[in-house]
Amino acid sequence: MAVDKKFIGKKYGPLTYEVGKEKIKEYANAIKNSDPYYIDDDFAKNTKYGGVIAPPTFAVVYAGMLADPFFKDPELNLNYAMLVHGEQDFEFFDVVKPGDVITSSGKILNIEDKEKLDIVTLEGICKNQEGKDVCRATFTFVIRK
Amino acid sequence: MPGKDIKVGDTFNAVEEVDKYRTIYYAGASGDFNPIHIDPDFGEMVGLGGVILHGLCTLAFAAKTVTDWSGDPGSLKRLRCRFAMPVHLGDSITTQAKILSIEGNRAKIELSVTNQDGAEVLTMTSAEIEL
Repeated sequence: MAVDKKFIGKKYGPLTYEVGKEKIKEYANAIKNSDPYYIDDDFAKNTKYGGVIAPPTFAVVYAGMLADPFFKDPELNLNYAMLVHGEQDFEFFDVVKPGDVITSSGKILNIEDKEKLDIVTLEGICKNQEGKDVCRATFTFVIRK
Repeated sequence: MPGKDIKVGDTFNAVEEVDKYRTIYYAGASGDFNPIHIDPDFGEMVGLGGVILHGLCTLAFAAKTVTDWSGDPGSLKRLRCRFAMPVHLGDSITTQAKILSIEGNRAKIELSVTNQDGAEVLTMTSAEIEL
């Protein structure tokens, strides 16, 4: 069953996420990245950032939270068993640091109804506690019919 | 990237091994516990031949290639890809990067992300860094 195009523009969130230093280290370890910018306090305090920062793709943690209400939206009624992550686009505007509180607002950007599949694009705009954009994350999901 | 002299056509690359437990680490850190990533029986059942790596973990490997080269993770301003093929445990992922263009303080980088058989697991992959 096709996903109804009337849901283009539907919003999710905003959801907030407080960034923790140990969570950054856990994520860096998971992606096999031991860059001292992420995990070494002594190194990082002498960088222009003044302390450790999150890997750019840490956005999957705070922006990715939007996927939960989106996948579980009873109105949208996505067939999760047939859904795959098709494309990803991240734009990074500022670094994210421990202690930052990130607010992510989601919106369905587009719904395409193709012969054998639906393509649904979810955009997350993420701001820090100062109201500054840190990331725009665009997730494209493909749902086989 | 102070002191780094880059020009269009420059290339660099890196290889990452997908060890047996990688999807477990990534599921825990990212919160993505979709059974296709952590349950081999489920992966078999749905025809994937076991568990597959999270696509965003593969993309993180590609990002690491760029930020290790640039020397400053904060220089990465854009990263995009299409997830073309599943990545399995034991696979070896190579990211090859090429500077496509330099405009103002931005460099566009074309990325090719392949497995040990030379098959592209990510397509339409690119990054932009601030110089």
